Amino acid sequence: MGDENFDAIVIGAGPAGIACAYTLAKQGKTVLVIERGDSAGSKNVTGGRFYTYALEMVDRGLTAEAALERKVTHEQIMMLSGNRAISVDYYDPSFNRVGGTAQSFTILRAVFDPWFAGKAEEMGATVVCGIRVDDVIEKEGKIVGVIAGGDEMYANVVVAADGVNSFIAQKAGLIKDIESHAVAVGVKEIIELPAQTIEQRFNLKSEEGAARLILGCTEGIHGGGFLYTNKESISLGAVFMPEEVARHGRSLPEMFQEFKMHPAICPLLEGGKTVEYGGHLVAEEGYRGIPKKLYREGFLVCGEAAGFVVNLGYTIRGLDLAVLSGLAAAKAILEAASPAKVGPAYMQQLEAVKLLPIMRALDGFTDALDIPNLFGTYPKVAADLFQKLYAVDGSVPDHLRKQIWGVVKGNKLTLRQLFADGIRGMKAL
Amino acid sequence: MSKVIACYKWVADETDIKVNADSTLDISKAKGKISDYDRNAIEAAVQAAGALGGTAVALTFGTPKAKQSLKDALSRGPAEACYINAEEAARADGAVTAKALAAAVKKIENVSLVVCGEGASDTYARQTAPRIGAVLDWPVITSVSSVRFDGNALIAVRRLEDCMQTVKSELPAVIAVLPEMNSAPIPGLKAVLSAGKKPVTEFKAGDLGVDFAPKTTVSALKAYAMNRKSVIFSEGEIADKVKELTAALRKEGVL
Amino acid sequence: MAGIYVYSDKKDLAAELVGFAKGCGKRAIVLTFDERAAKDLSNSGADKVCLLKGDSELVENYGKSIAHLLAEQGAELFVVGATVSGRDIAARVAGYLDCAMVSEASSITYTDGKLVTERMMYGGSVQQSEVLEGLCVVTVRAGKFEAISGAAEVTTLEISADTRTTLVERKDIVKEGADLSVAERIVCVGMALDKREDLQIAHDLAAVLGAEVGCTRGVAEEKHWLPVEQYIGMSGAVVKPKLYLSMGVSGQIQHVFGIRDSQIIVAVNTDPKAPIFKAADYGIVGDMYQVIPLLTKTLKGA
Ligand SMILES: Cc1cc2nc3c(=O)[nH]c(=O)nc-3n(C[C@H](O)[C@H](O)[C@H](O)COP(=O)(O)OP(=O)(O)OC[C@H]3O[C@@H](n4cnc5c(N)ncnc54)[C@H](O)[C@@H]3O)c2cc1C
Ligand SMILES: Cc1cc2nc3c(=O)[nH]c(=O)nc-3n(C[C@H](O)[C@H](O)[C@H](O)COP(=O)(O)OP(=O)(O)OC[C@H]3O[C@@H](n4cnc5c(N)ncnc54)[C@H](O)[C@@H]3O)c2cc1C
Ligand SMILES: Nc1ncnc2c1ncn2[C@@H]1O[C@H](COP(=O)(O)O)[C@@H](O)[C@H]1O
Repeated sequence: MGDENFDAIVIGAGPAGIACAYTLAKQGKTVLVIERGDSAGSKNVTGGRFYTYALEMVDRGLTAEAALERKVTHEQIMMLSGNRAISVDYYDPSFNRVGGTAQSFTILRAVFDPWFAGKAEEMGATVVCGIRVDDVIEKEGKIVGVIAGGDEMYANVVVAADGVNSFIAQKAGLIKDIESHAVAVGVKEIIELPAQTIEQRFNLKSEEGAARLILGCTEGIHGGGFLYTNKESISLGAVFMPEEVARHGRSLPEMFQEFKMHPAICPLLEGGKTVEYGGHLVAEEGYRGIPKKLYREGFLVCGEAAGFVVNLGYTIRGLDLAVLSGLAAAKAILEAASPAKVGPAYMQQLEAVKLLPIMRALDGFTDALDIPNLFGTYPKVAADLFQKLYAVDGSVPDHLRKQIWGVVKGNKLTLRQLFADGIRGMKAL
Repeated sequence: MSKVIACYKWVADETDIKVNADSTLDISKAKGKISDYDRNAIEAAVQAAGALGGTAVALTFGTPKAKQSLKDALSRGPAEACYINAEEAARADGAVTAKALAAAVKKIENVSLVVCGEGASDTYARQTAPRIGAVLDWPVITSVSSVRFDGNALIAVRRLEDCMQTVKSELPAVIAVLPEMNSAPIPGLKAVLSAGKKPVTEFKAGDLGVDFAPKTTVSALKAYAMNRKSVIFSEGEIADKVKELTAALRKEGVL
Repeated sequence: MAGIYVYSDKKDLAAELVGFAKGCGKRAIVLTFDERAAKDLSNSGADKVCLLKGDSELVENYGKSIAHLLAEQGAELFVVGATVSGRDIAARVAGYLDCAMVSEASSITYTDGKLVTERMMYGGSVQQSEVLEGLCVVTVRAGKFEAISGAAEVTTLEISADTRTTLVERKDIVKEGADLSVAERIVCVGMALDKREDLQIAHDLAAVLGAEVGCTRGVAEEKHWLPVEQYIGMSGAVVKPKLYLSMGVSGQIQHVFGIRDSQIIVAVNTDPKAPIFKAADYGIVGDMYQVIPLLTKTLKGA
């Protein structure tokens, strides 16, 4: 076997896989990363905002070298209803300063991933792109290697970092095929615009950026939109529950097109050129979506393959958690005294890097977001209310309480339901 | 052992070329790739080396950026690679390219066959192979759709517009192959891994004793403007779209 | 004799190139290996027709001698018809002369005594202009210039051949389809076609339109469902019909290059973002398996 036996084989050159490979290679381990895309990030249009603490945990100072877009200083929420829009802009320049490194950046995967993969290569990892892993090789109950591009390749440990709906974890028997309610479908476009135009439209200083989450753009369907400003482009996307889209007799491209044409969104994109378009699944269940077992002897699952993503409505966090889990996997491989101990060590590391604690703490959001009214009725209620407040035509306005009640009733909401959703939301948090 | 050279060019991927508003071009962000038909050339050289009992050598002339192509080329089967690393490659025309490649072929020594792609994806000039042949004063066969060997003879089938020609030539020779020659396989994992371990010889511009001054001066480069009506029927029932289309075509008088 | 030297294995193309040379106000000297062509070209308006004679049946074998001839005669330009063997000879000559060469120029003009050419790059998406000085070689496709008439003397010239390459056999390509380059209407099939039998829907439409069936490269070279002569594009046939209608063709630049001179371009594709729609005059976003039979039916009914 000689040449073909690695300390570790990592499947997938996303943030999880690369963080793992980087850390292992830095400690002198022989690592092979296999990525099916023609280059790291080439098959991945997802994501847009990245929290930098995770990179700093992998290696101090890494953020300073990273291929990033804009520092997020404007956190925004937008609610749409019909042609109307309500926007909240939380500006915090201090997000730009935490220990000299901005808290979060917007990123383009086609730029960030190759940079990160290049870093791992500098550390001595071998990254092979354009080849898909088709299966794992099992011997005496252990995973001992992979089959890829028609060849067999062996390693002491195989790390599945192949993203949502992990085919490899399925092959290893750790997860079943994903159920449709557990995943949402995300669509995303990258729209090119000159830096100056972006800065004008979003009121940004140079290098600063906005991250905007959008509710009410999904016709009541569980989901939401997002918009991130990059250096010279905008990442615009939306996440929908596929079942509901089908039930509404709609199609994703159609709904996304309408979202783009919304009078409050369209002017932001005007004159821009779509340079990339892609769809991707995203795990929706947060902590509860994590498979029961994340390892077998000779095998670990990390990143979104392990369900490490939280969709909070006001932000999606998958990239930072992916990096943390890759780091945890590497640390476990490095410290475990025997192959059999790698798995349990991984579980400990997931606690130590605070990944599992973070996910537990954010668990309730899944329930809060399960309130169907959140995606259609409530944005409409809010917009109706603003309309009542801001519409001045010389007539005598109703009493505020009456106005509110009128809006609530007009939207066929009962007090009981409002109350129930409120409780549900509170409990969830 | 005799050597079979596969000439391949590292080109900008044409699908990544951006057109600026003033119809000038931005090629800076384009990813590189091995010119499409050169993948067939590499495969043809590997097969020919097998048939001749020689070794296949991948040869490219490019800027320092082309270095990243070596692993890709080697994963496609050649036993070694040879890289002419010269900034001058960015401005090279057919004359310079052929002279540089021919000079490398001489340096490599003991070459029995040089295989080029029929045309590069960027220039599609289809002149490099005959020009290399002229510089070396070797026989050249272009537009080759299949080839076999008989001792020191090469028998090739050429595709012309109206006929297939079978010609016989002696080695050493230069051939330019059509993509129909073979289906260049996608390299497997082991091939990719072993590529990193294969030997690479690098020549600098100065090593070759070639005049790198191009004979042509590029005076302008601009995007081709597509001026079409682009009336697209996308909404509604298929039957209506078909009706609208036939009506439009009738009006154009092309039915 | 100084002037522009012209060669093409297609005599009509050679005549067009003479037209170009004379249009530049230069002397035109035609080189040919074919006695009949020499006779015909003696009325092409050229100043001289040289019938070349040597020991090889392969015209490519005369590259080196032609290079010598041009240098000796003080030729200003060697313009060659862009056919397979024309391109080959042209490049050999340029190689032996170590001079500039522009392949398949879309335009050539003399500006301030210098030759300025334009040609396509990157599959046809980019146009490059070049300035050439001294003796150089340019190839040109058919149809770029008008032939003229006028008598010329024919002289015969013995010329030596490189005999290392010999012709073993020559087999005419039996054209299964019609010559697409002169077709008035073309139905073009792309890789969206599921299986060979489905070609029938293209043939059915072609029948009512009175069209020929062409295809993209993959259909011919990967699937082998149509002969290679039937594929359209940069490395295939360049067409200029009144009507070109494609089904399941994405419209990559190399294919579009071959259809740009069509009068009307129509595309049917399921993907509204397919590049073919940018190259088309009319398009239907839809499944060709539904659209095409319906179109055939509608046209039949009318
Ligand atoms: C629309 C959308 C928007 C999002 N926005 C954000 C955001 O703003 N911020 C954030 O933090 N997160 C965001 N996320 C989530 C985030 O993108 C993911 O959680 C994150 O990418 C997971 O990283 P990973 O390394 O685990 O997997 P991935 O990034 O998915 O990488 C997996 C890699 O494995 C490769 N691969 C898969 N199968 C194989 C195989 N068999 N063989 C070889 N290679 C294989 C893939 O090509 C891919 O490169 C978003 C997700 C979606 C869908
Ligand atoms: C140097 C070079 C030279 C080349 N020369 C040529 C050339 O001369 N000629 C040529 O053709 N190509 C050439 N190519 C290849 C070219 O780049 C493209 O790959 C090729 O033209 C694509 O063929 P296609 O459109 O049939 O297939 P695809 O690109 O696979 O497109 C299929 C299309 O069908 C659509 N579709 C799928 N299902 C349906 C349906 N049911 N109904 C309707 N639409 C459907 C899809 O949306 C897609 O757009 C060349 C490439 C290179 C690199
Ligand atoms: N810079 C280069 N390095 C190596 N091979 C080249 C280079 N340029 C052209 N070639 C070869 O020559 C063929 C034809 O190129 P061209 O004449 O430019 O169309 C290509 O397919 C390659 O095989």
